[in-house]
Order: sequence, then structure tokens, then C-alpha cells
Amino acid sequence: MQAILSIEWMKVKKYRTFWILSALFLFMLPAWNYGLKNGVLKVGGNGVNILNQVYSYSYVWENIGYWTSLFVVFLSVLVIILTTNEYQFKTNRQNVIDGWSRLQFFHAKWGMVVVLSLLTTLYVFINGVVFAAAGGSMSGFPGHIEKLFYTFVLTLNYFSFSLLLAFIFKRSGITIGIFFLYSMFVETLLKSLLNWKLSSNPGNFLPLQCSDELLPFPLMDMLKTIAKMQSETNNAYYVIASFVWIIIYYLISRRLLLKSDW
Amino acid sequence: MENILSINNISKSYGPVRALNDVSFEVPPGSVFGILGPNGSGKTTLLGILLDVLQADAGTYSWFNNPASSESRRQIGSLLETPNFYHYLSAVDNLKIAAAIKQRGHNDINNVLEKVNLLQRKDSKFQTYSLGMKQRLAIASALLGNPRVLVFDEPTNGLDPAGIAEIRDLIRQLNSEGITIVMASHLLDEVEKVCTHVAILKRGQLLLSGPVNETLRSEDQIEVSAMNLDHLKQVIASMPGIKDIKPVNGSLLLSCDNNILPEQVNKYCIDNSIVLSHLAMKKKSLETKFMELTNN
Repeated sequence: MQAILSIEWMKVKKYRTFWILSALFLFMLPAWNYGLKNGVLKVGGNGVNILNQVYSYSYVWENIGYWTSLFVVFLSVLVIILTTNEYQFKTNRQNVIDGWSRLQFFHAKWGMVVVLSLLTTLYVFINGVVFAAAGGSMSGFPGHIEKLFYTFVLTLNYFSFSLLLAFIFKRSGITIGIFFLYSMFVETLLKSLLNWKLSSNPGNFLPLQCSDELLPFPLMDMLKTIAKMQSETNNAYYVIASFVWIIIYYLISRRLLLKSDW
Repeated sequence: MENILSINNISKSYGPVRALNDVSFEVPPGSVFGILGPNGSGKTTLLGILLDVLQADAGTYSWFNNPASSESRRQIGSLLETPNFYHYLSAVDNLKIAAAIKQRGHNDINNVLEKVNLLQRKDSKFQTYSLGMKQRLAIASALLGNPRVLVFDEPTNGLDPAGIAEIRDLIRQLNSEGITIVMASHLLDEVEKVCTHVAILKRGQLLLSGPVNETLRSEDQIEVSAMNLDHLKQVIASMPGIKDIKPVNGSLLLSCDNNILPEQVNKYCIDNSIVLSHLAMKKKSLETKFMELTNN
């Protein structure tokens, strides 16, 4: 696996798009949270700012985790481009012709997705520590550190979903379009329909939504806690649902790559 | 001696189109094996199957008498259809990736670039290359790590005449070093010049395969002419060993058995009181033979 990943690294380390999209994510996440922390970003009036959030333990993880779940689309686009590039350049064929098995090519991409999720989680961790320290309070560490694990689950779900779409559609434009259409509109619609028609919120268990449920908008979470309305569904179910979906993406894409012509 | 490659009853369809139909042949070691056929005859499909980028519907193949595996592919240098490289990387960086996948070191990268005359441009990005340079880089990539076998699909595509001659010389030279070469081509000339063995494909059917000097042996033809062509034709038709007579531009083109020589034709005519005004030996071109084979 190490040899495979080092080859994936050779493919991206001199690729400008890789660095630009990564830089956008690396910059946007702290910049946005900085804006929130200092009240530059506001929604509301009369001294009320519903975006105002607490950046001390133990809330820092869920705040940054939530915003990560939005900015992570930069990296999803990156996963899509890196994968569809192989089809566009036909280098997927060349890798196999040169001596990889199809499965090695497949696992190279999955390895990339896992590493990217781990690095994103590490970056969120560093941001959390820095923001909490800047707030002057080091007490309470690590706080709700399980939310950091949820961030990992969410990024892994988003990246592997993007990977599946890239394997299916093979062209970057259409794959990115479908990714945004699904994640922003189709799933929201489906979720609302399902939850409206059926009891016990099955819509929350849709592919990306189950991970989104782990990191809801922070204010909502606090309100729920205050009102003792904490959703009956335990987060453990959402973690399990996320991993079930990830395994499903893996199995579908594996079958697709092993059985079809390249 | 073991065969480099054995192909057994491979078939493949794209929907209703039969791209390959029950194709079998064997590639002996040390040969330059040409897969010859017109456009759309299934050459690239066949090579794609042999390199595991396409799935056969039926049939098997083996490299080096072993079932196909990624390990055997690492001993094969291939150029399939188009040069496939990362557009944003330089030639050297692309070859480093290929070498890493082949599990070879980087030390022969400069060597192979030198062989295809790309050393000066080795740090330029692939996307800045001309078609011919891309093709050369693909050949360089195939040469990485001293492969036992080279598989080339239309290796001279996009090259200028000098480039074509260079690649031909390179192929001959590599073959003389003991490397077996399998190449697909629609250019009969190319196959005739460099190949020792040939398989001819037409619409997915294998028409024939074997050593070039047996399968593509040129037949001799004799051209004759006389004052009275009709009379000449009648007389010649009765000569033993003459298989076919075709009138061409005021003369007759005779297809005959191999042992018939022009002087025998001349003597036969004189014995029958005809004086020939023209007598010439003609090599039937391979082009004609190829067209005959691949046309209905």
C-alpha cells in the first residue's frame, strides 16, 4: 500500500490544481472561523448574532466540524478531478498496462481518499486547538473530541461518495455537476419527502445526510440541548449508517472497475 | 521452446458488433510478430484484451506460458493506441511514475529518452509535445526496465518519414538484442519490412497466421503481348501451368505455377507460331495480395 500511495503522490505533487484547491480549503476554514469568532460575520440584529459561537472546549470541535462539513466540498471536487483525470488522460489504462492490477489502481484511489480524510481531520484538530488557545482557555481539553471523529467519518463519506461518482461518470464536468446537484438539492428534497411521509426520520439516513446529522448547525445543537430535545436517534446509529454507505460505495465501485472495459 | 504469447479462441463483442471472433495464434520467442488488418479489424481490441484493459467474452491467453497477471505485464513494454501520460507532468516525471509501477529504478530513464531523441526536451510538460514527440515518449516508456517483450499498436502513427525510419531501425535493433516484438499495423509495407511473422485479421476473423515469407509470399506474374491478342490468349490458355489470364492495357497478365519461367512461355508461343512483342516478369505486389485477402 505504501508503494501505491507514493505513486499517487508522484501524480499530484506537481499538479497545480491540487495545490490550489487544497490551499482554498486550508485558507477558508480558519479564515471563516476567524470571522465568526470576531463577529465580522453576522446574521441578525439588535445585538443578537445567531452565528456567534463559542470557540472554547468543549464546543470548538462541533463549531469547526460543522464548517468543515461545508468547506469539504473543495476537497470533494479535488477527489473528482484527480480521478476523472485518469480517465481523461487514459492513464488508468496505462497504469494497468505498466503492471498494476486493476485492483491496485482501485485501491490507490481509495488509499488517497482515506489519507485525505485523515489529513483533513488532523487539520481540523490543529485549527481547534489554535482557536481554543487563542480564546485563552486551555482548560476543558479535549472536550467533545468525539466530534472530531465525526468530522473524520463525514470527510471519508464525502470523499468516497465523490470517488464513486467519478468512477461512474468518468468526466470531471458532469461528475462535479452531479455531485453538487445531489448533495445540495436532491438529497435535501428526498430527506424532506421521506421524513414527511414516514415516521422515525428515515430521510436522515440518506448517503451524505447520515454524516451531516453528526455535525448539525451548532446553534441548533445548543438549542436542542437546552430544550432537552436532543434527537432520539443516537449518533452511534449515524456513524454506523455512514460506514455502511462507505462500504456500499466501495463494493459498487469495485464491481464496476473489475468487470468493465477500461 | 516456450511461446512468448498464446492466444486461444478469444471472442469479444461490442453490442451487436463482433469485434473478435474465435481468434487463436501463437507468438514464438525472438520474432517480430505483425498483427495486420484494415481499420476496424480488431487489432487494438485484441491488444487491449492481452493487456487486461479490455475483457474478453470468451477465450484465454497466456504470456510466457503463465496465466495472465500484473507480474507478467511488468515484463512487457506496451504502447496501446495513443500515448497516455499526465499532461501536466514533464517527460521525466511521467517516466518516473511508469518506472515505479514497473518496480524498476529511475536509472535508465535518460537512456530510453536518448534512444527516442527526446533527451533535450525531457523537462518539458507532456502537453507541450507534438504528436510525434508524444509517440516517441510512449515508445521510451515501453522500453523502460528492459522488457522481454514489446507490444506496439501502430508504432509509427504521427511520425514523420525520418521518424518512421528511426523507429523501424530501433525495432530491428531491439529484436536483434533478443526482444520479442508484437506490433499491430494497417500498413502492409511496415509489416513486410520488419516482421518475421504475421497474423492477418479482418472484421474480427483471423484469416491466416505464420512466418511472413510463407504467408505473404509474393506470386510471380508474366506479362505478354502480341500482334493478335485474341489468338495469343487462345493459345496461352492451353499451356499447362497457367492459372489465370487477365487482359491489361493491350497485354495479358498471366498468373502461373511457380516453376513456369518466361523463357518457357516464349518457347511455347514460338512453337505455336506466335511472335511475342512483349515479355516481362512481374512481381505481384503484396499490396494486391493483402487487398485480395481482406476484400471479399
